[in-house]
Order: sequence, then C-alpha cells, then structure tokens
Amino acid sequence: MTQYAKDYSVGELMCVTLAREIDDGDVVVLGSFTPLAYASYILAKITHAPNSTLLAYAAVDFKPFQLSFIRAESSATRGAACIWTMLEDLNSVHLKGRGDVEAISSIQADGYGNINLSAVGEYDSPKLRGPGGAGAPEVIKMHRKMIGYFPNHSKMTFVPKVDVITGTRYVIGAEERIKAGYRPGPIRYITNLAVISKEEKDKPFKIDSLHSGVSAEQVVENTGFELEVPKDIPETEKPTKEQVRLLREEVDPYGTMAFDFKPGKERLGYLNEILQKELEAIGYA
Amino acid sequence: MPTESKVAKLSDISKIIKDGDTVAIGGSWLGSHPMAVIREIIRQKIKNLTAITVVGSIDVDLLIGAGCLSRLMFSFVSMEAFGLAPNFRRAIEKEGLPYDEITGLAVIIGLEAGGRNVPFLPYRGPFGSDLVKFRPEFYKEIKCPFTGEDLIAAAAIVPDVAIIHATRADNTGNVQIDGTSGTDVEMMRAAKKRIVSVEEIVSPEEIRRNPAKTKIPGFQVDMVIEAPLGAHPCSCAPDYVFDPWHIMKYMQAAMSPETFQQYIDEYVMKPEFEYLEAIGGMKQAAILRRLAREVKFL
Repeated sequence: MTQYAKDYSVGELMCVTLAREIDDGDVVVLGSFTPLAYASYILAKITHAPNSTLLAYAAVDFKPFQLSFIRAESSATRGAACIWTMLEDLNSVHLKGRGDVEAISSIQADGYGNINLSAVGEYDSPKLRGPGGAGAPEVIKMHRKMIGYFPNHSKMTFVPKVDVITGTRYVIGAEERIKAGYRPGPIRYITNLAVISKEEKDKPFKIDSLHSGVSAEQVVENTGFELEVPKDIPETEKPTKEQVRLLREEVDPYGTMAFDFKPGKERLGYLNEILQKELEAIGYA
Repeated sequence: MPTESKVAKLSDISKIIKDGDTVAIGGSWLGSHPMAVIREIIRQKIKNLTAITVVGSIDVDLLIGAGCLSRLMFSFVSMEAFGLAPNFRRAIEKEGLPYDEITGLAVIIGLEAGGRNVPFLPYRGPFGSDLVKFRPEFYKEIKCPFTGEDLIAAAAIVPDVAIIHATRADNTGNVQIDGTSGTDVEMMRAAKKRIVSVEEIVSPEEIRRNPAKTKIPGFQVDMVIEAPLGAHPCSCAPDYVFDPWHIMKYMQAAMSPETFQQYIDEYVMKPEFEYLEAIGGMKQAAILRRLAREVKFL
C-alpha cells in the first residue's frame, strides 16, 4: 500500500504533482533554471519515469543529478549522452513535435490559454517589463502537454485577460490539435492551491483537484477567470513518504526548491545560506 | 590548411565592431556570454549598437547600463533566480529604449535563415501571440505553397558582427565548445564578421586530435582572442560555474544608475587582468572551477 507523507511543504506537493505529469518515455525539456521544475523532472526520472529523456542547456539525455543552485549546468553537461546546439534541439524536439513536457510559469495567465511574460500594463509603456518568453510562446503550443506551475495562485496572476499575449496554446481540443499537426494534450496549471485544467477551446478551466485543506470557494475567489467547479472534487494526491525522502535527501538537499516560495526580501539571505552549504560540501569553509 | 593567424588582442575588437553595428551576442541564460569582449566594448566606448540576444542576462544588462545600446532584439533577458535584469527594466520602463521582442524560436530560425542566405524560413510558429502582431517586420503569416497550410515566416537576421565565447580554438579560428553552445554556431554562420574569445588558444594539432568537438571551422571566424575566465561572471560549462557572489554584487550595484556607475568604474574601466584580480583572482577562479567539477549524479 502506498504510504503517503504527513509532513510536506506546499512546494514539495507541487513538485511531486508536476513529477506525476511525466510519463515513462517522455521527452522533457528543461528551460530556464527553475529549481522546482528541475526537481520534479529529476524526481520523475529516478522513480516512475526512468525511460524519460531529459534535456537541459546543451545536454541531451543527461544523468539525473543532485540539484544545486550553481551547478545545474555543469551537472547536466557532465552527465550528457549528447551535446546539441539550440537549433539541433529545436529542430529535433520542438518543431518535430517530440516534446512532451516543458513546464512554464508566467506573470499573468488567463482562461484562454494565454500567457504573459512581456509586460504588465501597456506594452509600449509598461508598469512592469517582464523578462520575455524565451521559447515559452512556441513550446506551449508545440509540446504534447502545456503544463504551468504557479507558486502564488491569485487574481494578480490569474487574470480575466492577459495584458499582452506573449504566447498561447492556440489549438486546444484534441481533434483540432491532431488536424493542425500536434499531439493532443491538456493545458494544466499546478498551483499552491489546486490543479486546474482545460481541454476544450470553448469550455472553461475545471478544478481537477484541491490541495489538502483548500476549498473550491477559495480557488474560485483567487482566480480572475471563470472556473468549472465539479460537484465532487478529489484531493490532490499527496506526496508519498519515499518521494519526500528522495526530494530532501537525494534530489534537493540544499533546499533550492524552497527559493521560489520565499518573499522577495528574504531571497538574498536564503540564497547566501544555500551557497554557504554548497561551499562547505566541497570543502571550503 | 590555412596558416594565417587570426589571433588578436582584446583591444583589437574595434577593428571589427564599429559604432552603430548590429551585434549578435552568444551564450545563453547565465552561461558562456562573451563577457570579456562586452567589457572591452564598454572600455572603448563603442556606442549606438543594436544587440541581438536569444536568452540574455548580465551581458545585455551591462551594455544597456553602460549606455552602449540604441536598440535591443531579444526573446528573454533575465538574471534568473537573482531577479529581473535591472538596467534592462529601467531602460524600457523609464528611458524608452527601442526594442524588438521576438519569440525564442523565431530568433533562432531567423539566424538560421541568415546563415542559409535566404530571406526567411517558415515554421509552425506562435500564431495568436501579440508579438507576431507587434513586429510585422519579423513575422508574416503565410500559406505553404504545397499544402496550403498556415505557417509563420521568420525573417532572416544578418548581424554585422557575432561575438561568442568558447572553450578553445587554434590560431586560424577552428573553435571547439565543450559545453553549452546556445545559438553561437547559428550566430557565427549568419553574421558578416565574427569574433570568438576562448579560454585557451591551442595548437592546430590539438584541434585535429578531436575534430568532432569543433563546432565552428576557421573560415567562419575573423578574430580569435585568448581570454581565460572570459565568460565571468557567467559560466563556461563544464569548466567553471557562474559566480553567484559577483552577480549579487552586480545586482546590488545596478539598483540605481549612480551605484551602477561606481560598478563600471571599479570593475569594467580597467584592463581585463585587473578585472580578474578585482573579482578575487586565482583563488576565486579555483572555487568556480572546483564547483563545476564536483557534481553528484543520482
């Protein structure tokens, strides 16, 4: 019988939920360094999805590694089966439609499958200029699933309509996707409150599951677009004891994943703590 | 085989990079940006550049803060976990820096079109994105002449100069990259002139011992500069990691234009060997190299 953990953080729950989106045999792309997503993929690879192929930086099919704030790139590179340029990567995976999961996050997201990483406010005179989408505008359309993770489920993030559409899923329904040359798959957002997903263009996002202790009302209140609220919503599957142990002891002993959940003011101090631990681990005091 | 040496000093970059040029900058995220050449651009006060980056970070932010850019093309500029890029934000939010925000794949495919000497390349691009609407000079919705399928054409990008940082090269410009190459190869193929800085210049014989590692042959390179630790404070995988301590210092300095000017004076406006001393010299280099080696597989 599966033994579920009693003591886990919301970050660990989100991480495990994202890991469960990886099927064995998937081709998984790691974009910008986001500790939570990296931890998820590596956890999946060492548990239920050993045949998944992970790509990060120039590294293809790299060996799973222990997360570190500074060493993700050298770890992926040193454990790679193949080193590609970005063009080889996107010719082979993205454009060919071979990507399964490349989780994204976004400053804003709406109920249509649009994301905004560009600007809050007017595009030409923004209140906040975002980093830009890198490959996100394209991968959310091309890969089998569009998976997003949001550590702060709120009306600031989940808005009625994004200020700027940096990218969009564009073709959503299974039939439409196949016709347009893409593999069918859902839009699914994993947040600190719930899991919501959308599989049809003309239907709203639906609450798939609620995290322990969270009510449907709470999710609706914190979402700026329409949600379908089924009568009986299951609780999000908890992390197992083994998953939590692996995350804490093997995958992320330095606690890089918690970084995304720290308030802006505490981040620098937390980062310094991690760096200190990393130095000590290699014999520098 | 060619014998003419392309080895030059950092100060020679102004023979290739001129005021007003469009410069494609290699590297990606916090990795392998040609930072020694970027610092030299600032030292030599080369101005009015249009920078092209796919996934930029401190490279672009530093050039913006030093006032070297009059335009920017990018898909992403961020200091990753350290936060949003401060000078980039300030320039766009407050100072009206003109920019072209292009989706990541479109920049890469545009560079590839430039390298193939065709005006565009089609792909199943980001339909529905506002960026397609905002920048019709880089995107056109077209129909496949064979099947009638809707496609997006990404316009060719042909930079005046490409600058990249690599692991090693010989004196005729055969370049080997052991780690992350990003879009370096595509930028070098597309550009009219090409500068590579390398950790180490090695003999032609050494290159030929491992030809599969050569990503860019010498005929696609115009200038080779030896710049050990030349990507600092970025990484050059798998040899050294990025320097989080220096990047934190940078982030602090970039909070205001005044403190940023102090950073420029203290770190950039001095010869490169003094920069390397200022960031902690051999001792710091040893830590960054050691961190890159000590990885743990599960």
